[in-house]
Amino acid sequence: MKRFFVIFLFTILSQSRLFAAEAGMPQLDPKYWASQAFWLVLIFAILYFAIANIFIPKIKNSLDDRNDKIKNDLDEAKNLQEISEEKLNEYNLTIEKAKKDVQKILFESKNKLKLDIQEKKDIFEKEIDKEVENTQKEINKLKQNSLNEIQNISKELASEIIIEISGDKLNESSIKAAIAETSKKELENYS
Amino acid sequence: MQQFSVHRIGPEVKIAGVDISFTNASLFMLISASIICLFLFLGTKEKKMIPNKIQLIAELFYNFVAKMISDTAGSKAKPYFPFIFSLFMFVLFCNMVGMLPYSFTVTSHIIVTLILAIFIFIAVTIIGFIKHGFGYLKLFVPSGVPNLLLPLITIIEIISYLSRPVSLSVRLFANMMAGHTMLKVFGGFVISLGLLGGWLPLGFSVALTGLEILVAFLQAYVFAILTCIYLNDALNLHH
Repeated sequence: MKRFFVIFLFTILSQSRLFAAEAGMPQLDPKYWASQAFWLVLIFAILYFAIANIFIPKIKNSLDDRNDKIKNDLDEAKNLQEISEEKLNEYNLTIEKAKKDVQKILFESKNKLKLDIQEKKDIFEKEIDKEVENTQKEINKLKQNSLNEIQNISKELASEIIIEISGDKLNESSIKAAIAETSKKELENYS
Repeated sequence: MQQFSVHRIGPEVKIAGVDISFTNASLFMLISASIICLFLFLGTKEKKMIPNKIQLIAELFYNFVAKMISDTAGSKAKPYFPFIFSLFMFVLFCNMVGMLPYSFTVTSHIIVTLILAIFIFIAVTIIGFIKHGFGYLKLFVPSGVPNLLLPLITIIEIISYLSRPVSLSVRLFANMMAGHTMLKVFGGFVISLGLLGGWLPLGFSVALTGLEILVAFLQAYVFAILTCIYLNDALNLHH
């Protein structure tokens, strides 16, 4: 029994030793733990200082520069847009004002023209009226003159005819009255 | 499992009896850090108003981490931005470098992730005590809990707080190790099934590689964002 136990123990020990040597996890072998720890700390420390002091500031700088540029460009674009909007508003206002002015000028000149035409028309009409009146007067005058002449002629004629017929001189005024009466009667037919 | 083994490169260095020799793990840490530095150097070499591709990617990383911090920890966490950025980049590039064949995955070692996590844990705790004094202990006593449950809740809160470094480190370590182990297993299947049956595991292997690249990014992101969340607890005490 004791012998069997010793053999059993030996087998297990040898087996486990075999296992550890051939298929065990080298990770659990503490032989090089100190070495790995030492080199890890050393290399990681150097890497950390290199990254923290050289590379990160550089990358940060570059990124910040780009962000600043983008921000500046955007700000500038915004400003330019505002300016252009202002200009556009100004332009629109100017156009509107010009349109109003044009309308006003148009309206005024129209009115002025109308007034002018009216005035000229009035003057012409007055002149025409005057002319017509003058002509009328002249006609009337001529008429009167011709009537008078006719009356005079007829009076002379009548008095001569009377002298011829009767050899007597008639009262001039009575002849005149008779002629006036006759002429008046005859004239009524013409006028 | 050979891919996870650490071996010494060059002479054995001992300080006070502790072996700190340069190993392949150290080499790949150095490679990852160098790639980060090279990438950031190229990304910041020319400061252009319109960035070129590498500058754009560097700025993309910067903005990604900056947004992650401001979303989870607010504006108070700004001074810790360089640390979280370095952490994210380091974990991400270690994971990604580990994806290359014949390379070594630094983050698949529990000791590496544990040291990062413990450092974060201690730093966050110190920041919390500096910012809030002993009021930081209110973190363990949530408000609006019935008095009967309060001791239990407090104990649970303390345990959950203390388990943060463990969960943080084991999450990254286990994810990386499991992914690489799985890739190795499928690779083994390809060999053992030979020319006739090896095509199916090969397809799986290719698909898994894609998945592992996603996991590599995701775990770096998770590591960084959990750091931000812990930092948020320390900076803005809400309980």
